[in-house]
Amino acid sequence: MKSVPKLIRRFVGILLLSSVLLITLNAALLVFIFSGYRANGSPWKTAEETATALQAAEDGYVLSETAGVQLRSQGAWAILIDNDTLKVVWHSDNLPDVVPMEYTVSDIADFTRGYISGYPTFPAGTDNGLVVVGYPQESFWKHMWPSWDYGLIAHAPRIMLWVAAVNLAVIFAIYVTVNTKVWKSVRPITNGIQALSTGDAVHVKEKGLLSEVAFHINRTSAVLQYQNNQLRKKETARANWIAGVSHDIRTPLSMVMGYADQLQRSEHLTEDDCKKAAVIVKQSERMRNLINDLNLASKLEYNMQPISVKQENTVAIVRQVAVDFINTDIDGKYPIEWLTGETLSVCMVSADRDLLKRAVSNLIQNCINHNENGCTIYVSVAAEKKECVIRVEDNGIGASDEQIDKLNTAPHYMVCDTNTTEQRHGLGLLIVKQIAAAHNGRTVIEHSRFGGFAVEIVLPFE
Amino acid sequence: MGFEYLKDKHILLVDDEQELLDMVVSILKSDGYHNISTAKSAAEALSLAGKTEPELAVLDVMLPDGNGFDLMSRLKEKGDYPVLFLTARGEDDDKFRGFGLGADDYVVKPFLPKELLFRVAAILRRTYKEENPVVKLRGSEIDFARAEVVKNGEHILLTAKEYALLAALYRSAGKIVTIDALCEAAWGDNPFGYENSLMAHIRRIREKIEINPSQPVSLVTIRGLGYKLILEGK
Repeated sequence: MKSVPKLIRRFVGILLLSSVLLITLNAALLVFIFSGYRANGSPWKTAEETATALQAAEDGYVLSETAGVQLRSQGAWAILIDNDTLKVVWHSDNLPDVVPMEYTVSDIADFTRGYISGYPTFPAGTDNGLVVVGYPQESFWKHMWPSWDYGLIAHAPRIMLWVAAVNLAVIFAIYVTVNTKVWKSVRPITNGIQALSTGDAVHVKEKGLLSEVAFHINRTSAVLQYQNNQLRKKETARANWIAGVSHDIRTPLSMVMGYADQLQRSEHLTEDDCKKAAVIVKQSERMRNLINDLNLASKLEYNMQPISVKQENTVAIVRQVAVDFINTDIDGKYPIEWLTGETLSVCMVSADRDLLKRAVSNLIQNCINHNENGCTIYVSVAAEKKECVIRVEDNGIGASDEQIDKLNTAPHYMVCDTNTTEQRHGLGLLIVKQIAAAHNGRTVIEHSRFGGFAVEIVLPFE
Repeated sequence: MGFEYLKDKHILLVDDEQELLDMVVSILKSDGYHNISTAKSAAEALSLAGKTEPELAVLDVMLPDGNGFDLMSRLKEKGDYPVLFLTARGEDDDKFRGFGLGADDYVVKPFLPKELLFRVAAILRRTYKEENPVVKLRGSEIDFARAEVVKNGEHILLTAKEYALLAALYRSAGKIVTIDALCEAAWGDNPFGYENSLMAHIRRIREKIEINPSQPVSLVTIRGLGYKLILEGK
């Protein structure tokens, strides 16, 4: 199914879009969260402010009221280590007891990066010494060795892009692998459904994720095949029944026709009796034609008529049919005029010669059957752009608009699936339509420009 | 047309229905055929054919002791004569089988007596040709044995193409023969694009057979369809 790769493409697109959206959303969330924390104030900044707010007085050092409140509000304490003695020369009132009052340079280096007795510390320099602000234990986590390779920081944007790309590739690979597996199990199912629509017998392996669907497809196929076989059997039986009946009726009808024909020529019968015999002959001929037509129409309808198609010259075929009728029209009641252009001697189409002859014969015979008082029949072949048009028309009684409309649109009773009492016209035109359809062509029924009835058989060149 | 000698030919009719046999005999007799045998089974037909060889066999396909196709094969082993099938089996496959086995014609029941008579006469005419047929036209004669035309006491030879065309026209004398059928007779299968050549040959034939070739009376044109050969007195 062509739609499956399309579906996969769409899912891959959705996946990629989701990944990009997710990364953007994460970045935005991070910025939001971190900016929220920054709003609480940085301990380094507090240390700086404390250092500034600590002023030397006559009896030592004094911290401004504001800075003192800020420290207390954060639960923090502060000390000032003298530059020269490295001893604590001032401290806030809430200094824990465990905080030493004297430091070495090494101690200063340690707590600058980390802690004093577990209290996270943040130093800030002043002219007289070093102010250290200590926060309650476990209030801050400090990175003790904050140093990176310079190249890592310098190439950070590129590295991040690479990481993002690798992530995307991995996600894509996982998706494709998973999808391929799903596709492998879906493909037989889609192929099966596709084959079902063409009427072929289907068997899908019933295993994997979609085994239940496969089971139902197989079951549906079996049901369809059974129904098709039953339908074919019925159609064959119906066509065979028609063929059988028409076969059995042929021999008795031969005798009716043969003897009636002899009687109509008998010298021993009265003229009136000869006329009666002639009527029997004529009606027998109608029955014979009906049997032949019924047989062919049913076979064409159920695709049981073998059609051997090859390249044929329609001009030659139609001309032969016209001449056959002229040669048998002894009393000249139905003259045929050949209206094919003189330049057109060849018009090749793929056709079954016998069936095409039959169709043209039916059309000419129709002109004769419907015009008892005689008429002129006009026959022509024309080559149009993509089609060959065979036209048979007459200057006889013709048909009304309503009749022509019905002939063009209403189904014949043989192929009509509703009960109707209307479409009881002969089989001749139905056969012409069926033959045209069997050649991928069509028929057009209309008024003739000569005043009677006209039928076109239009056959495609390809 | 001088085919009376064909009425003496021995015709064997085989059909399992006596009434049909009677009717066909009656049809043939009404047209002058008098040498007719009938058989109701394949065995009877073979026995009759063994005694007097028929010159035409008219067979039904469905017989009580076999089928007409097999019977034809066995009859043909005994003698080479034409066979016409007269049967209720009108399927194309049956026709093709019959023709494929060498049948000369195939008539599907029901049939008009006239149709059967035409076909029987055509087969006999084709099979038992009259020696040296001379065809009389208005103002000339065609001698097919010599491939020449006799006009005003002058003997004019026909070319191969002219002979083939005249023979095709003569086979359907009095009827229109289509341009395509004439081209096929002269140039074989796929005779496309020979229409102008055909017209040239027809013109030359007229010069040979017509008294006034510009106003032909024996070889007439049926515009757009073909030509017709009209024999003297027809």
